[in-house]
Amino acid sequence: MLPTLNLTGDVILAEHLSHRFGKIGLGDVVLVRSPRDPKRMVTKRILGLEGDRLTFSADPLVGDSSVSVVIPKGHVWIQGDNLYASTDSRHFGPIPYSLIEGKALLRVWPPEYFGSLR
Amino acid sequence: MRTRVLSFLNQWRGTAKEAFENVSIVAKFLCLLHVTDRYIISSTHVQGPSMLPTLNLTGDVILAEHLSHRFGKIGLGDVVLVRSPRDPNRMVTKRVLGLEGDRLTFSADPLVGDSSVSVVIPKGHVWIQGDNLYASTDSRHFGPIPYSLIEGKALLRVWPPEYFGSLR
Repeated sequence: MLPTLNLTGDVILAEHLSHRFGKIGLGDVVLVRSPRDPKRMVTKRILGLEGDRLTFSADPLVGDSSVSVVIPKGHVWIQGDNLYASTDSRHFGPIPYSLIEGKALLRVWPPEYFGSLR
Repeated sequence: MRTRVLSFLNQWRGTAKEAFENVSIVAKFLCLLHVTDRYIISSTHVQGPSMLPTLNLTGDVILAEHLSHRFGKIGLGDVVLVRSPRDPNRMVTKRVLGLEGDRLTFSADPLVGDSSVSVVIPKGHVWIQGDNLYASTDSRHFGPIPYSLIEGKALLRVWPPEYFGSLR
């Protein structure tokens, strides 16, 4: 999630109310249970909601092959800000909305980066 | 005047204490009930044709436990309560017919022809299917679902009473 979140680790405050009321929107940084490993939580950004059509580069390092996808009902598209080092919906497809467990509010540590995530 | 107010309050002190104690017992009970219902065992009303003949069309009440899926103890053939991947506000009841790594071959449309589809279930996913193949929307339609969508495992049916017992 570089450059939004630091490589060496940040502490963020996340709230667990928005996803229960359906108030997760485009661009939100969310805490999500990994579809590949039920014991792991990952932090990604929402870049697509159900019904959206997304076009992305299958491999950002190699060529320009584009893939176009329509996000099915009840699913969202998550992507890390660091396209070159992120395993996200470009690899495992759109994830069911219910896997979202929290929305990041602000960063509290380290102190020099205190504040909202932009 | 002041002493009258004070003696009035003193009279009610004993009652207030008793009321508070009783309320706190009720509050503790409700907390215990909530924790049990959410994280240990709960009763659910399930209805629909997708699990015939195992579950009735008109609706059954089953006891479901919420511990197994946290410990990874969901196995093949278990009837599970799952959050629908198509509608986050809906719970569905299906049977687990495949675990991660399994290869499944199924008929794309059981009413039409013999077209077979073969699928390998990716890591962290399971394959759910209703017992009634002709009236069930399940993994044959929306693919394998992430394991984390499983919220409970059905234990036994408690209503209607003539069908009391385990689901087989």
